[in-house]
Amino acid sequence: MSKKKKQGTNLLYNMIAEANSYDDVIVMGRGDPDFDTPAHIVDAAKDAMVNHHADYSPPEGLLALREAIAERVKRINNIDVDPATEVVVTNGGQEALFLMVVAANGPGDEMIVPEPNYTTYADSLAFAGGVKVEVQAFAENDFRADPADVRAAITDKSRSLLLVSPNNPAANVISPEDMRTMLDIAIEHDLIVIADDIYDLFVYDDFEHLSPASLPGGKERTLTLNALSKAYSMTGWRLGWIVGPADLMARVRELKAAISGGTSVISQYAGIAALTGPQDPVAMMAEAYRRRRQLVLDALDEMGMSYGLPQGGQFVFADISFTGLDSGELAQRILTEQHVLAYPGSAFSKDRKDYLRMTFLQPEEKLREGLERMKIAMGNIMAEQQS
Amino acid sequence: MASQTKTDVLKQHQSNTNLNAPILAHVMLSENDLGADGLIRPLDERIIAATADALESGQTHYVDVPGIAPLREAVADFLASFFSAAYQQGNIIVTAGLQESRFLTIQMIGQNYDSIGVPEVVHPGVRKALGTRARKVVSLPVDASAGYLSSVESVAEAVAGGCRLLFLESPSRLSGAAYSADQVAAIGEIMSENDAAVIWDQGLAVWVAGDYASLASHDSEAARVATIGEAFPGMGLASWFIGYIAAPEASVPPMQSQKQIMSICTSTASQYGALEASQLFDSARNQQLASLRQSRNSVLQVASEASLSIVSGAASNIVALRMESGSEAALAKLRAAGYEGTDGALFGAPDVIRLNVTNTTVDALRALV
Repeated sequence: MSKKKKQGTNLLYNMIAEANSYDDVIVMGRGDPDFDTPAHIVDAAKDAMVNHHADYSPPEGLLALREAIAERVKRINNIDVDPATEVVVTNGGQEALFLMVVAANGPGDEMIVPEPNYTTYADSLAFAGGVKVEVQAFAENDFRADPADVRAAITDKSRSLLLVSPNNPAANVISPEDMRTMLDIAIEHDLIVIADDIYDLFVYDDFEHLSPASLPGGKERTLTLNALSKAYSMTGWRLGWIVGPADLMARVRELKAAISGGTSVISQYAGIAALTGPQDPVAMMAEAYRRRRQLVLDALDEMGMSYGLPQGGQFVFADISFTGLDSGELAQRILTEQHVLAYPGSAFSKDRKDYLRMTFLQPEEKLREGLERMKIAMGNIMAEQQS
Repeated sequence: MASQTKTDVLKQHQSNTNLNAPILAHVMLSENDLGADGLIRPLDERIIAATADALESGQTHYVDVPGIAPLREAVADFLASFFSAAYQQGNIIVTAGLQESRFLTIQMIGQNYDSIGVPEVVHPGVRKALGTRARKVVSLPVDASAGYLSSVESVAEAVAGGCRLLFLESPSRLSGAAYSADQVAAIGEIMSENDAAVIWDQGLAVWVAGDYASLASHDSEAARVATIGEAFPGMGLASWFIGYIAAPEASVPPMQSQKQIMSICTSTASQYGALEASQLFDSARNQQLASLRQSRNSVLQVASEASLSIVSGAASNIVALRMESGSEAALAKLRAAGYEGTDGALFGAPDVIRLNVTNTTVDALRALV
């Protein structure tokens, strides 16, 4: 399994390198918002360089930032946490993810993972010596993971349950009803819940995001991550967090101290400004993603691609089986022929060779151009197949 | 309702003594805090300006996992000019601080070896990094009279016993003692003869006045030595968490993959700050070193006059003292006078205290007498 994963990673590295060599490339692959970080956040970082450049920050982060995080997760997610003991600041959502998985799982422990999912969960679990137990979901059901399948996957080695909503790469949002059932299953089987809320501000139509830690019986067994990368266009600042019950968080803190020691105070002060300052930029970006999402869906409809409706997030996971090509091959052709980078589904899971992940993190004009180029590539491919 | 799963998780973590090794502050909490790993240093206006320019020009997005190319090149140049180490840009990974460097090298290079040899007296951050995943650790005896470094004989014995990967600090993070050129050559020979590898923490080497011997400077050893340290120490970036790994080509991809898994990349603000710091480092370091040497000489003189037992050391930024009455009593005395020091027990040397060398260290010593 790990060999397949490496192949996927290498494929992506090679494609990214090729994409970087094209002046006119349109990137619809990586989850990096095109917007610049809002100016008031950059200003706060500049102020921190002048006035706080050598501040001491404990491994769990500056208290002022932890307080801002506690206020945020209460306001947005309805999770009550004590900033003194139940928040740990991390180097982005990625470090938060790694810490949660390693804190909750040890050698031989099973983590139930609704698929498709972000591959780093599997990589982190492999580091901990844990075992991934997959529960599959498909485009025809908008990638809804069925709680009954989760229940059926539980064994006496089950230790944790991963709940990513909105999901990456499938963009499914776990419905409140399913979330309650998932938590009931976790309580019934005494599982630790690993919740990834990183796209919680990007939910479309009438779909609703619910944090499992906000439900009765949820907080004491749930570690929840979030980060500023996606919501505030701050991917390069590497600032995220985990909230959870004090006893588990004490372990998360030790692990954080062990793997990186702390988090840059410049990023932390920028994070305080992001969370406590004007939120209009977030609303503006969310509205832009809403428009772009529709652009992408319309184009996919024109190309005859089916997809799970992206209920949240910043991407679409489209079925490309009708092309007869493996997703790696298709993504490579689109890149080489049309200079558009989309990620092959095989980079997310060996079972998703029939899918392509496309982000809508480019300005509308560029996105339109990228989609037009994709149409040309798809047209060429289909013409070849018919001849 | 009580959770047995949580109880099991917590029990597993609590029994992990390495993971629960103490945490030292990365930077002084106050002017009289002489116990932290780093000093409070002013930040050059040019670093502020360059970092602000980078952020304002949109350098707020993901960058390459191993770091931005010019910074990797600057680190390689620094290693070449200070340590005659022949690393290229492709050998460098920029990390989110020294602890990430420890973690990545120990865990990712370590996974190719059955065991890792670690001195009995070592920075507690090393034990924490070891504690993140079960590893067989071979304890290397240390020589108190040589600043708590493991002797060449201890190294040879561990390697002869089958341990093919060592973690060594030079200078020691407790005493500042560094291996001599002869000792480094002897260690290199042992490694070469036994196809063994070394993770070499040389972060404090820039504070050694005069000759410093780096294991990485031996051309024949470049393929078996991974060096780690803080990126441009003393430039006011301690709280920006930026470090480096310089490693043989074959060791880079697994560490780079793991870096992607656990943090994707290092903060761009820290990287652009460090890049500017690299341009200013030579002259700033020379000035600081001269000042530190002067302060340390005063500290040593006062210690000597007071018949305090000084642990042999070469790095000018710290001084370690052996306390007959034990470290706890000495630290209590310091605390009563308003100073903090580091307890050597945290490193594995319970009769030693470590003090940073600053303008107030002499006063702190007087409180000890």
